[in-house]
Amino acid sequence: MKVIMNTGRTIPQGESVERKHSPEYESAASVCFIHPVDMMVLGIEDGAHIRLSGPDSRVVLTARASEMVEQGSVFVPLGSYSNHVVSGETHCTGMPDFKSTMVEIIPTEDPVLSVAELMESLGGVRYAH
Amino acid sequence: MLIKDVVCPFCGCLCDDLDVEVENGRIIRVDNACTLGSKTMVGDDRLKGPIRRDGKGWVETTYDAAIEEAAQILLDADRPLLYGWSSTHGEAQSIGVHLAELLGGVVDNTSTVCHGPSILAIQEVGHPGCTLGQVKNRADLIIYWGCNPIDAHPRHMSRYTTYATGFFVRDAHRGRKVIVVDTRRNETADVATEFVQIEPGGDYAVLSALRAIVRGRGDVVPPSVSGVPKEQLVRIAEMCKNAKFGAIFFGLGLTMTAGKNKNVRNAIELTDELNRHTKFIISPMRGHWNVYGTNEVFTWITGYPYAVDFSRGIAFYNPGETTAVDILRRGECDACLVVASDPAAHFPKACVEHLARIPVIQIDPHPNATTHICRLQIPGSVAGIDAAGTAYRMDGVPIRMKAVIETGVPNDTEILQKLYNRVREGTRE
Amino acid sequence: MTELLIRNACVFDPLNGIRGDVMDIAIRDGRIVESVKNDADVIDASGFLTLPGGIDSHSHVCGTKVNFGRYMSPEDMRAGRTARRGKMHVTSGYYVPTTYGNSYRYSTMGYTTVLEGAMAPLEARHTHEEFNATPHQDMLANTLFDGNWSIMEAVHAHDVKRAAAIVAWTLSSVRGFAIKLTNPGGTEAWGWGEDLTGIRDPVPNFNVTPAEIITTMISANELLHLPHSVHLHCNNLGKPGNYATTLETFGLVPDLNKNRQTLYATHVQFHAYGGSTWRDICSKADEITKSVNAKPQIVMDMGQIMFGRTMTMTADGPMEFNLYCLHHNKWSNHDVELETGSGIIPVLYSKKSLVNCVMWAIGLELALLTKNPYQCLLATDNPNGAPFVKYPEIIGLLMSKRYRDEECSTLNNGFEQRTSISSLDREMNWNEIAIITRAGQAKALGLAAQGKGHLAPGAEADLAIYPIRCDDVDPATEYRKVVEGFQKTRFTIKRGRVVARDGDVIVEGANATFWVNPTVPDEHNVANDPDFVKKFEEYYTVRMSNYPVQDVYLPRGRCIKTEADI
Repeated sequence: MKVIMNTGRTIPQGESVERKHSPEYESAASVCFIHPVDMMVLGIEDGAHIRLSGPDSRVVLTARASEMVEQGSVFVPLGSYSNHVVSGETHCTGMPDFKSTMVEIIPTEDPVLSVAELMESLGGVRYAH
Repeated sequence: MLIKDVVCPFCGCLCDDLDVEVENGRIIRVDNACTLGSKTMVGDDRLKGPIRRDGKGWVETTYDAAIEEAAQILLDADRPLLYGWSSTHGEAQSIGVHLAELLGGVVDNTSTVCHGPSILAIQEVGHPGCTLGQVKNRADLIIYWGCNPIDAHPRHMSRYTTYATGFFVRDAHRGRKVIVVDTRRNETADVATEFVQIEPGGDYAVLSALRAIVRGRGDVVPPSVSGVPKEQLVRIAEMCKNAKFGAIFFGLGLTMTAGKNKNVRNAIELTDELNRHTKFIISPMRGHWNVYGTNEVFTWITGYPYAVDFSRGIAFYNPGETTAVDILRRGECDACLVVASDPAAHFPKACVEHLARIPVIQIDPHPNATTHICRLQIPGSVAGIDAAGTAYRMDGVPIRMKAVIETGVPNDTEILQKLYNRVREGTRE
Repeated sequence: MTELLIRNACVFDPLNGIRGDVMDIAIRDGRIVESVKNDADVIDASGFLTLPGGIDSHSHVCGTKVNFGRYMSPEDMRAGRTARRGKMHVTSGYYVPTTYGNSYRYSTMGYTTVLEGAMAPLEARHTHEEFNATPHQDMLANTLFDGNWSIMEAVHAHDVKRAAAIVAWTLSSVRGFAIKLTNPGGTEAWGWGEDLTGIRDPVPNFNVTPAEIITTMISANELLHLPHSVHLHCNNLGKPGNYATTLETFGLVPDLNKNRQTLYATHVQFHAYGGSTWRDICSKADEITKSVNAKPQIVMDMGQIMFGRTMTMTADGPMEFNLYCLHHNKWSNHDVELETGSGIIPVLYSKKSLVNCVMWAIGLELALLTKNPYQCLLATDNPNGAPFVKYPEIIGLLMSKRYRDEECSTLNNGFEQRTSISSLDREMNWNEIAIITRAGQAKALGLAAQGKGHLAPGAEADLAIYPIRCDDVDPATEYRKVVEGFQKTRFTIKRGRVVARDGDVIVEGANATFWVNPTVPDEHNVANDPDFVKKFEEYYTVRMSNYPVQDVYLPRGRCIKTEADI
């Protein structure tokens, strides 16, 4: 299913934003809010894992039903997970398309990575606090 | 011990009425703050000292060794990028700009992925604004456009707008109307007098339609604009013209969606138009508690509010070219100093991949996403908790952050000053 | 202990009656002294024109609205940029330079003290931060009170002592130097998008008039014995016919101080218009100067405009909005709660515009028609009339009728009927120029007592040595040399240290900020008044304890203490 990905701040993400290695942050930032009807079409339940694929990258998130999101779009809190699929193209404005990236969603059994694992996949070296 | 009137180091509201209870050198309780502020101040979890990457692992190091290593990295670089700055105090930001000037590098701040487009718009058409107390005391119409204060600026409405009692608005509940404009029915919409739902990417057209209606040219507006019925647009325009004092607050819904700076420009021009009928202001909801401070400091030193490139010996500004995301995406910088921000979490993947390839030094007290990407992290104290310094609120009002506890951890100004001095010696060698 | 001897200086020191004497000046530890030892450093001034360091009594260089002007104008930043060189940081900006840009360019021109034209108390911290980044001039801040709610309440209650107490608390809290009123009452009306049309118009909701605000504040100022007088930007700035408001305002001013003026009226050019529309606008400089010539209690500054692009920025919000409606340029506005307002918009003063030509003439007329040069000082309301780098050209125009005539011949044809500039033969001399660029400012600001603006032993060793030999240059005909000479000093000396030489700033600066601390008896201290505190906490959006500017922002503060007569 192709949808527009919107990203932004949420309270749980903001409360834990200075503790990005914490379980609170990882669960707050790796959630994807989807309209219940879209979830029905995808054939998934609340809490299922989904893979979001952007232009040249993919990330696994946990789906959460929300009627605040419109059908055809999803909301992912801003952070490492959502930015994993946002392109670096800024159209000469300096600003990426944080709120208008087209993504493809499919259900998956794959696990949701931790922030450290995500960074390692990009070439980082995990620091265990 | 109770310390009153403490300034919160989280969001652009820069609330300065926190009551903080300190015991045995630790913050044990915070009153008056929202949950974001409280969580920031209590249970603050930091690195104990500088750490450096050693092969596939991490080892501890000293401040002096870390600063020496950082200086060498920066001196060796041809095109260093100095990024972040929004969560530290102005005195540190000032040194950062001078450091970039000394190195002939690029210095950029988090506006670049937040309200940079707003700045671009202001540079085209200006900014008709005011301090937040003007809104609190006078505004009878508040418009939240493309932002969600309940989640991102939780006390905005109680301190400055919807629920605040003002000199001329004694009954906030009856005295103010609130309009929320967004692509989804967010939490703030639930407390609004009127909610306007726009199709994603439709803000520009809706703003143009409103401008036409305000100018008396509603005849050119079709029956529906980006999913908004014309009747609603006409009603909103009337509310605006009939207000005694209207205030538009806008956020990333305008700066990050298609159109970006042009969306903001259109909103400013709508405000200009409304000023011919009544009093109207517009102001951005700045995210970090001191991101506006970075714009102020950068500007009085270099002339430009962000994305400043010193490689030519002058201050050079060209968003799209000298902005951090573009420089990283193009793989153009060969070293990066990150201060008080977390680009590995907030930049697109392509940028983070490049950061992983080059030496990155981070000055930040907290382990974050950038920690796994950097070579060296130096923890400084936190302004507002154990460091004092200047911050600029989202409306430009400057307030001094207090240090409520003493931890003996060097603050960002000290660390950066040492780094600056070392680099200066190095450039002479 | 550092000693410096300046030899062969051709000195004009009006406050000490020195007019062109060639003499030596001895300096020790930053002050002028009678003599120094033989091993002192020596600078040979070669008979060049030597004046006390320049003092700008009204310039917008530091603070919220100035920084607004910068960051909304990247095109101006590009226009005026310079590279990092020696001790000098990069600079950007032509009409709104960065703080280092301002500082280096003022220093190059021999200026060592600048009064920031407008500082809103709530945002004072920002002004002080920028003062610290303007390192080669000692700085002072005009503190805005024109829309101040508690002041207007005191005015309404006819309580001058209360007004004085509020001023005392505010000035000492925010480290201000003087009382500034900009469109008094009008900036509060602008909080609702309105303005006032005359000095008897009541301010909406507060029911006081500008006349009442002005007279109350003048009395309060004198009760507090402040070094400077009330500093006023009159109501109705820029409107054709506004000279009547200006004269009416001047008529309010008593003579309360024997050492200086009782009112400093700033940028009066913008307030000297006759006619009633843009079509029939004309100069009323003659009426204005007639009034000032008869009133030693008033000092004004020119507010000279010069042709070219520049930026207008004032606390006069409604006036700036009117400019926006006229020119449709990018416009910024920033009202400050409970205090004042501001607006910013770029403008172009064009020789083709009849109105602009009349404005240009008026500024010069004001200076030339004022008999006593101490009563009409040189300023452009930088950058509103023109960037301060244009001061040398204004000096050239005041000293040379020929220069004025040549300029007039390039202007719009119709303007000469609207002004008397062509008929004015007066050519100022070096002594008068020294008065209108430093001695007059020192006197008007009450800074002579602080050792500024003169060169008698005990004074601060702030000097400017200009590459002009007064005997060799005829300013009436060789105005080009005059202009070039004033653009770049051979030496600018600040507190006994050479800071600039032939256009280069050669040291890092360590300026001082002058501020006043008027002490009032405890029973009048508003910080002890529960009603004042309650209203503060209710209506401001910062806490009263967080409002005052902390010591750390004035690393080299110079506090002038006064005792109030309350």
